[in-house]
Amino acid sequence: MEDITNLKNEALAKIDHCQDLNELEECRVLYLSKKGKIQGLMAIMKDLPKEEKPGFGQKVNELKKEVTDRLEKRKAELEDELLNAKLENEKIDITLDAYTPSLGTLHPLTLVTQAIEDCFVGLGYMVAEGPEVELDYYNFERANTPKGHPARDMQDSFYIDPTTLLRTHTTAIQMRVLEEAHGQMPIKLICPGKVYRRDNDDATHSHQFMQSEGLVVGENITLADLKGTLEFMIASLFGEGQKIRFRPSYFPFTEPSVEVDMSCHNCHGKGCPVCKGTGWIEILGSGMVHPNVLEMAGIDSKKYSGFAFGVGLERIAMLKYGIKDIRDLYANDKRFLEGFKRFD
Amino acid sequence: MKLSLKWLGDFIDIKDLSVEDIIKKATDAGFEIEGVEYLGEGTDLVVGKVIECHPHPDSDHLKVTKVDIKDEILDIVCGAPNCREGLKVIVAKVGAKLPGGTINASVIRGEASNGMLCSLLELGVKKELLPENSPSLDGIEELGDEFAIGEEDVLEKLGYKDVILDVSIYANRPDCLSMFAMAKEFAAILDRPCHLPDFKGASDIGETTDFKLASLSENCPHFLAKIVNKVVIKPSPKWLREHLIANGIKSINNVIDISNYVMLETGQPMHFYDLRTNPYHEITVVDDYEGEYEALDGITYQIEKGDVMITSNHEPIGIGGIMGGENTKILDDTQGIIIECALFDHARIRRSANRLGLQTEAAMRYAKGLDPLAQHKAMDRACQLLKELADADGFEKTVECGKVNYEPYQVSETAEHLSALIGKKFTTQDLFDVLRRLDFKPEIKGDEVIATIPSYRSSDIKIREDIDEEVVRLTGYDDLSSTLPIMPSTIGKLNDTQTRRRVIRDYLSNAGLNETCTYTLVNKDYIEMPFKVGEAIALALPLSEERKYIRNSLMNSLMETLAYNEAHYNTNVNLFEISSLYAKDNVHKEHLAILLSGNLSESKVLKNEVKNSFYVIKGLVMTLLSKLGYEKGRLTVEENTLDTTHFHPYQSCVIMMNKRPLAILGKVHPRYAQKYKVSDCSYCEMDLSLLEGTKGAKIKAVELNRFPSVSRDISLVIKDDIKAEDLLRQIKKSGNQLVKEAKVFDIYHGANIKEGYKSITINIVYESKDHTLKIEDIMPIHDKILNDLSEKYGANLRN
Repeated sequence: MEDITNLKNEALAKIDHCQDLNELEECRVLYLSKKGKIQGLMAIMKDLPKEEKPGFGQKVNELKKEVTDRLEKRKAELEDELLNAKLENEKIDITLDAYTPSLGTLHPLTLVTQAIEDCFVGLGYMVAEGPEVELDYYNFERANTPKGHPARDMQDSFYIDPTTLLRTHTTAIQMRVLEEAHGQMPIKLICPGKVYRRDNDDATHSHQFMQSEGLVVGENITLADLKGTLEFMIASLFGEGQKIRFRPSYFPFTEPSVEVDMSCHNCHGKGCPVCKGTGWIEILGSGMVHPNVLEMAGIDSKKYSGFAFGVGLERIAMLKYGIKDIRDLYANDKRFLEGFKRFD
Repeated sequence: MKLSLKWLGDFIDIKDLSVEDIIKKATDAGFEIEGVEYLGEGTDLVVGKVIECHPHPDSDHLKVTKVDIKDEILDIVCGAPNCREGLKVIVAKVGAKLPGGTINASVIRGEASNGMLCSLLELGVKKELLPENSPSLDGIEELGDEFAIGEEDVLEKLGYKDVILDVSIYANRPDCLSMFAMAKEFAAILDRPCHLPDFKGASDIGETTDFKLASLSENCPHFLAKIVNKVVIKPSPKWLREHLIANGIKSINNVIDISNYVMLETGQPMHFYDLRTNPYHEITVVDDYEGEYEALDGITYQIEKGDVMITSNHEPIGIGGIMGGENTKILDDTQGIIIECALFDHARIRRSANRLGLQTEAAMRYAKGLDPLAQHKAMDRACQLLKELADADGFEKTVECGKVNYEPYQVSETAEHLSALIGKKFTTQDLFDVLRRLDFKPEIKGDEVIATIPSYRSSDIKIREDIDEEVVRLTGYDDLSSTLPIMPSTIGKLNDTQTRRRVIRDYLSNAGLNETCTYTLVNKDYIEMPFKVGEAIALALPLSEERKYIRNSLMNSLMETLAYNEAHYNTNVNLFEISSLYAKDNVHKEHLAILLSGNLSESKVLKNEVKNSFYVIKGLVMTLLSKLGYEKGRLTVEENTLDTTHFHPYQSCVIMMNKRPLAILGKVHPRYAQKYKVSDCSYCEMDLSLLEGTKGAKIKAVELNRFPSVSRDISLVIKDDIKAEDLLRQIKKSGNQLVKEAKVFDIYHGANIKEGYKSITINIVYESKDHTLKIEDIMPIHDKILNDLSEKYGANLRN
């Protein structure tokens, strides 16, 4: 029995002293293998009196278990140490940005177009499109701008031949949709698109730009409806709380016509450089659809009325994102474009 | 349009209104004020008399003066050469605010100076408005005896105290280019009485004439002419000079001034010819004159066919509607005149004036349109003023050529319709009231209010909605409520094309590309791409050669954008754009362009990168197409025979759908890239219009297979020019439904492989939907595949 106690103390001390897995394996062989020291005790057992055998056997088994457990424990400890050392070895500089997936961007004019589309699609509008190479007929005549009108001058538009030009406003799309409706009411649409005017490019002018017009025709449509609709659009583009005001204006295809100002989103009407100290920013032109426009499209202007508005998308983008020069929108400089990668 | 408030005050009592009040009311009524100009400016001005004037002891040009301003005698140092004893002068007292600053008491080189003697220039009067002999031009202003020492309203007395508003006028209000109509407008805005001079019928004098008048041009539909045999040329009275000055027109003499003044009043440009220069007593308007002509400004202009010319005896005497001629102008010794009062076509005058670069007051008014009764009004007013101011006599009968179609008319409106259109309650009285303010002579008949439209508003007011605009314009928008239309519900949604565009934009931007927006108008180098949508359309009148054509492909636009970016040291520029393209014969298509340069993604630290190449752009495009619902089975990849001048001839392809080219893509040809001085890049242009009307595959959920699949790799040696795609297709075909997938995972050239051959390793996955495959199931199929590949493509297993 004393042998068992001695062997146990010896084995456990030795296991505890092992410093690596090789040593531990040597230990295991030394004590637990078939020719190991514990197995050696079995040789003693056969010389013991019969009545002591079961007790001795039990003790040896207990010893075996204890040594095995201690070995396993020590093994786990050593493996842990080994792994920790390995992990420590893999220490890196976590401040380094080694992988930056490239974030592409949508063009700011696309962002504004989509914002307007989403706003009006939510109100049940359709998004209409039309050709940029347009007939004079839809661009001017149907928009109540007969021949000889100043806006039709060769000097102001890019004519291709006497009957065709690059459309000068997206109003041309409205005129097509009005005609295609064949009197089917109501009409609710917006029509974003590129338009062209014979302007020299500078910080605030561009020979090519984008507009989105909106048109609603139905029964009992009022100027107050126009105001409410525009307030909704401006809130969705610039956030809640923007006031708008109407000023009299003139467009051949609307009567009455109004210019719309929005309270300055930058200073909330207090006056700042963005609004040139006035607290207001001119944002779009609009009005009630001229009865001539409805009649030319075969719509009974006694029964139906409508409103229309046209907003310059560059202007919205410039105000919303603080762009100072309209040409930046067409230069497509990567440094500029990358500024639009964020959710806004 | 310049509006002199002083002149306005002649017609309407506005003394109690501040300039700010007037601006606010004008703006609310639709007249934006673009500028405010004070003709002469200055506070604390007083008339003084120089009672002593000595040279400054310490200066060779300054003078030390004592100036009597009635209440005190001021010491003032003055530098003007014309400063002298006895002179009556304008004194700006200490504290006076002048355009150049505030006057302070000071000591100038040891001499006290408590004020300033002023030139009109120092009081903000523009040089061009001063008479040629004005002392103010090189000294201080010299006042006459009519000025009393101590008098304070000196600027007003000189005619230089006025506020000029620069009023922006919309195209529907050309009437406001006339002072009379503008006065009517302000009377309506302010709701005050307006008193205009009466001159109706003043030209109905003169019994006979031998004057012959004809118009051979349809661009001159109406012409009034009248001979006045006697006029006396002299300076204009002060009030007339002042009105001209306020409108930026220089006074010349009474007769010329009358022609300008009547134009300002009535909006009708008029011209006076010296009677001596027209011995035939004849004027003919033509539009077929060609040649040089010297106008009143002393400049010779090149007249072309189409320009309207006034001629006499076949010789030009003036450029119709734009400017009179040097050869017929009024001189100091003119004794008789011919009055011209004509209507010219506005579009024609605008075109001629633009071409000649002659934007005169007359041309501007013609271009915008006139009151149909303006010719008669102007003739009446001119005759009245010539009699009053130029002792005119010997009037002959007015000669008229052509006529203006104008009949007085009425427009009626009801409060009910007005309220329904605006969305705000108006009463019949509200409606009546605005029409009364406008002097539209309203009458109430039942529900209707009937307005009689004055001739000068006839181009603008035609229907009841025009009346409605007048009402809201003059009553204000401030209390208009905000509502949304009440109508049957409609479904708002993007159509397939619009949705597809969004999917493409999202996909490509998520893949790291930047969307661009480039110009539609390009130069001629842009329009000859082999995959253009058609023959390019040219503009009739381009701004420049650079922007002459409507683009018919996108490649050059993106290459130029890449070149711009590389020139600005931007690297890894990866771009896309969706744009409509146009060509002759009504071609209208939409293309997608993708341009990759440098790396699509990279990490220097991790030492990995996805560099642009044929395979990268092809992968990007094929995955995009699969996202749009167009899987490989509907598309074929063919060799690029379309365009090998802009694309690498061996690293480019055409993707076909329904036997039509959907996209061309590949590495950009190095020689073409060199043209833009850009690094190597890859490009794709896709015809999105081809997807119109086709449907992408619908989503159908995959039924998961419960039976395991078996994977086998084969390495084959084949000739170099055999395409992987063909092998994969053959494997599927021979596989008899058991081959689920076949993929290339290695291509090898080199050791152990003959020249002109390659080794290709393909992974084949076998699968059955109804049982677990055993080796006996697969082997015959696998052997058949190898057999077929060997027979059809000479493919042999590598060792």
